[in-house]
Parts: sequence; C-alpha cells; structure tokens
Amino acid sequence: MEPFDLFSMREAYNRQQIMLCFNGPISRSLIEEIGNALRNYLEADHAHPSAAMDVFAVYIEMTQNIRHYATQKGWQEQEAAATVVIARDEAGRYVVSAGNMVDAADGAGLLAKVESLAGLDKTQLKAIYKEQLRKPRDGDAATGAGLGLIDIARKASEPLLASMRPLNEDRAFISLRAVI
Amino acid sequence: MSDFSIPRSQSTPAIQGNWSEGVLSMQGDSYPENSYELFHQVFEWVERFLQDAGRPLTLELHLLYLNTSSIKAMMDIFDLLEAAHHAGQPVAVNWHYDKRNERVADLAEEFKEDCTFPFAIVGF
Repeated sequence: MEPFDLFSMREAYNRQQIMLCFNGPISRSLIEEIGNALRNYLEADHAHPSAAMDVFAVYIEMTQNIRHYATQKGWQEQEAAATVVIARDEAGRYVVSAGNMVDAADGAGLLAKVESLAGLDKTQLKAIYKEQLRKPRDGDAATGAGLGLIDIARKASEPLLASMRPLNEDRAFISLRAVI
Repeated sequence: MSDFSIPRSQSTPAIQGNWSEGVLSMQGDSYPENSYELFHQVFEWVERFLQDAGRPLTLELHLLYLNTSSIKAMMDIFDLLEAAHHAGQPVAVNWHYDKRNERVADLAEEFKEDCTFPFAIVGF
C-alpha cells in the first residue's frame, strides 16, 4: 500500500493549476453537480461571462460525450467512468481535459477526427458544424449527433489535443484536451 | 386549446406555451443529457399550433447556454417555423439576451442565419 500522504497530490495539483478534477464513474446528476461547482469557481475567479460559458460548454460536451459513448456500448455504470480536469495554463487560459476508456478501434477513430479538425480554421469549422447540424439523425435522437467534438473545437483557442494509451488488446484510454 | 408549462430544472429551461395568445416562451439553460425527452413535447405543441390555431405564433426566448443536442432540437423547431412562414403564416422569434454575455447573441445569430422569418435578437 502506498503511504497515506495527500500533500504530494496537493503539490502536483497546485503546480498544474488544477481548479477542479474528478475521477470515477460519472452519472447524469454528477455531471450537473460538478458543472455547478465549476460555474461557481469561474465566477469566483472573475472569468468573463463569455469565457465562463465556453469552459462550461466544453466541460458539458466532453462529459456527455463520454456518457453517450458508454450508453451506446451498453456498458455498465462502472465502465462509464471519466477522468476530468479543469485547470489553467501558464498564460492563464482555461484548459478542459477529459479521458475515458474506449474500444481501441473507436479511440483510433477519435484521434483521426481530432487530427482532421486541427487543420481547419474557424470559418471551416463553422461550415462543417452547420453541415453536421443539418444531417438527419441516425436513429439516436438523444445525442448531439456528432456535433459535440466540432463544437469543442470551435470554442478552443488552439487545436484540440488527443492521445491514446492501450490498456489491453481491445481497450484503450483516450485523453482529450481543449485550451479555451 | 391547450396551454402547457414545464418548470425549470438545473439543466432544463422553464417553458410555457400559451395557446390563446400564440406565444411560446423559454427561459434558462438547456443541457439535458437527453434533449429529445424535453423538446419533443415542445415540437409537437408548435406543430399542432401551426396546424390548428390559425393565428400568428411568437417565440419569446430568454435562453442562455444550449448544449449541442438542445441546439439540434431548437433547429427542428425553427424549421417548423420556417415552413409555416413559407406557407404564409405569420411567425416570429424574439431572442432576449444580457449584453454582458455576447456568447448568447452569437448562438442566436447562428440560428437566425438559417431563418427568413422575423427573428429579433434583443440585448438588455
């Protein structure tokens, strides 16, 4: 067993300017409660209302994407786990990151999508966003139907960053990062 | 014929449909995980009003943040209005926003781009 010491964890969080983080199974109500806390932090931090809304929006799209993915896979609550971090970078910009377990093939698909979005400017992102918005839903009316990732890219001030780490033959852990 | 009212929750807006006045109002944020659950009843009310009421319909929106699935649902409602407008029925949207948060105006503006009926974005 590791020694009981939260100090090193606290040091790491402070060094990385982490405002809020969560790791574990994420439910619909937990997303709302953490979102509430996030809004309060942003207000206390005197974030501009527009910036606060962008950070909140990216947090919501990332976490709801993770929930929809697990639902779509028919995974149990325990597998619908997410690692969510909201921090600031050296320049004081807000950084929203989220990670979750995926089927390796889906992870590769997401990496490719993030890469394809990275090459687009704001006008091009808007065009594919509107195109996606106009696409008929493919049976699943509940979700944003593929809009989430494009929306996140539109709200980010630099290209999204994604990375994948294999867990076993079939599964991998994917991390996505957006600088607002 | 039928009025309806949905109270506001943490992640869903307050919504009121007033049949006799021909006004549909919404206030607040909308980011439910399943936006279809919420919006299908709004969609059906608008559809029925446009079919049966024979009166102008106005949407008074005080919406703030919408997640992408709510955006998709709102677009479906605006498409109904657009079709009614093309059929010669008077419809209008007034989207009210707090001038301190221009993101809300940006959001309304993107909807407006795809609509040819009267669509006002009103700052307060």
